[in-house]
Amino acid sequence: MLQYTPGSTFAHRVDPRGKLLVQMSFAFASFCRTTPRGLIILTVVAGIILASGRCRPESMLRGYLPAMPFLILAPLVAGITGWPPTVEFEAVYIAGLASYRIVLILLVSGVYVVTTPIRDSRAAVQWLLPRRVGSAAGIAIEMVFRFFPLLRADVTRLRAATAARLGTSRPVRERMQHLGGKTLRYGLLRADRLSEALQARCLAWNPTLRTLQLSRHDIPSIILSVLLVYFGLQGSA
Amino acid sequence: MIQVENLTHRKGQTTVIDGISLKIDDGEWVVIAGANGSGKTTLIKHFNGLLSPDRGVVRVNDTPVEADLLNARTTVGMVFQQPRDQLVAGTVAADVAFGPENLGLERNAIDTRVEQALETVGMSEKAQQRVHTLSGGEVARVALAGVLAMRPDHLICDEPFTGLDTTSRQAVYERLCEISASGTSIIIVTHDLREVIAPADRLVVLSDGQVGFNGAPTELPADDDRFNISLPTTPD
Repeated sequence: MLQYTPGSTFAHRVDPRGKLLVQMSFAFASFCRTTPRGLIILTVVAGIILASGRCRPESMLRGYLPAMPFLILAPLVAGITGWPPTVEFEAVYIAGLASYRIVLILLVSGVYVVTTPIRDSRAAVQWLLPRRVGSAAGIAIEMVFRFFPLLRADVTRLRAATAARLGTSRPVRERMQHLGGKTLRYGLLRADRLSEALQARCLAWNPTLRTLQLSRHDIPSIILSVLLVYFGLQGSA
Repeated sequence: MIQVENLTHRKGQTTVIDGISLKIDDGEWVVIAGANGSGKTTLIKHFNGLLSPDRGVVRVNDTPVEADLLNARTTVGMVFQQPRDQLVAGTVAADVAFGPENLGLERNAIDTRVEQALETVGMSEKAQQRVHTLSGGEVARVALAGVLAMRPDHLICDEPFTGLDTTSRQAVYERLCEISASGTSIIIVTHDLREVIAPADRLVVLSDGQVGFNGAPTELPADDDRFNISLPTTPD
């Protein structure tokens, strides 16, 4: 699962609001420019964004592994029609482009996750949304980023423990039942433990957040956002 | 000062804590011992309001815990039995800063506290390391730093040496001695009295949710087997 990794890359130094802006404008452009030519240009942009955070595409994609089967299968499912089943290549092609577009958006959002501390995300959200709505959204985002890596680690340990005692030799259905049930139970237990830890450490609605300040590092991100929006508008026109 | 008055806590039909009264003075080193299931962890969770009493009251500096949870949680710091459960941020420095940020301190003050806390536990060099890459001993020290950054008057450590090797035990023990010397009271919950009994002012032994013994560690004979705990034997 993708998590914040400390570093001093260009992407790390960009204000979280600038990074959010790039993400939104990238998503906008990719939904407006659905042609292969548009997606090639967006692939180059995504590559630049990945390079700015020194993120490897394969490690980013590994972080989104659970989504990949759906993105790969979706075009095939979209293209198979009727009985006996026939493949409509036009539909596969269009759905394939849509899937690829999602992959690009995931890659760009992955760079955000890897280069932005949790509390900075919260600061950016609270800056964007007013008062209590911002606090509630900020704390919700903070909880998600704190909870899921812990749950993921629990599930990894559970799978290792199962494998260590030859659980992998059991039928797939039985394994899935075991893992699903245990994951749910572990999730609830983990939520309790996290809640206790957060209480003990005085979780607050209004913690001290980093003072967000635009710097010269944000200029390229703002320019890129404007260009992406322009690129998207040109495509939709 | 922590005052426990006639505290009772039930879990379902089971009475885990049964009318305990106890007082812990500022600067004291108290060891709370007892067999598994004797109610040690449940008792200390009342000290900073992680649990609510079914009967009785716990006061921290004369204020009931329930009346001012923030006061209780900043005055009484707690290191969990599983320190890894206590870490909530991605990196060491971010985790140690988590508590002071919640107190709403100025950024400079937070940075100072983080630096000092990490220095105290000898983890300054790993400030930017991701927490999931730390060893068990390092996790214990980071959890301790996270609590110290809150500047508590009382520090509770629940089984602080569980799962640590000799070097890590020694490192944690030394940190606790330093913290105690600075005037912070230390409350250690354990069933392993090896390291912690020597500097202790007082030993409290729980048995079936009640206080079975409360006094100087020397007052409890080493061969006393009533409480299912083993005191370190002193050579003749």
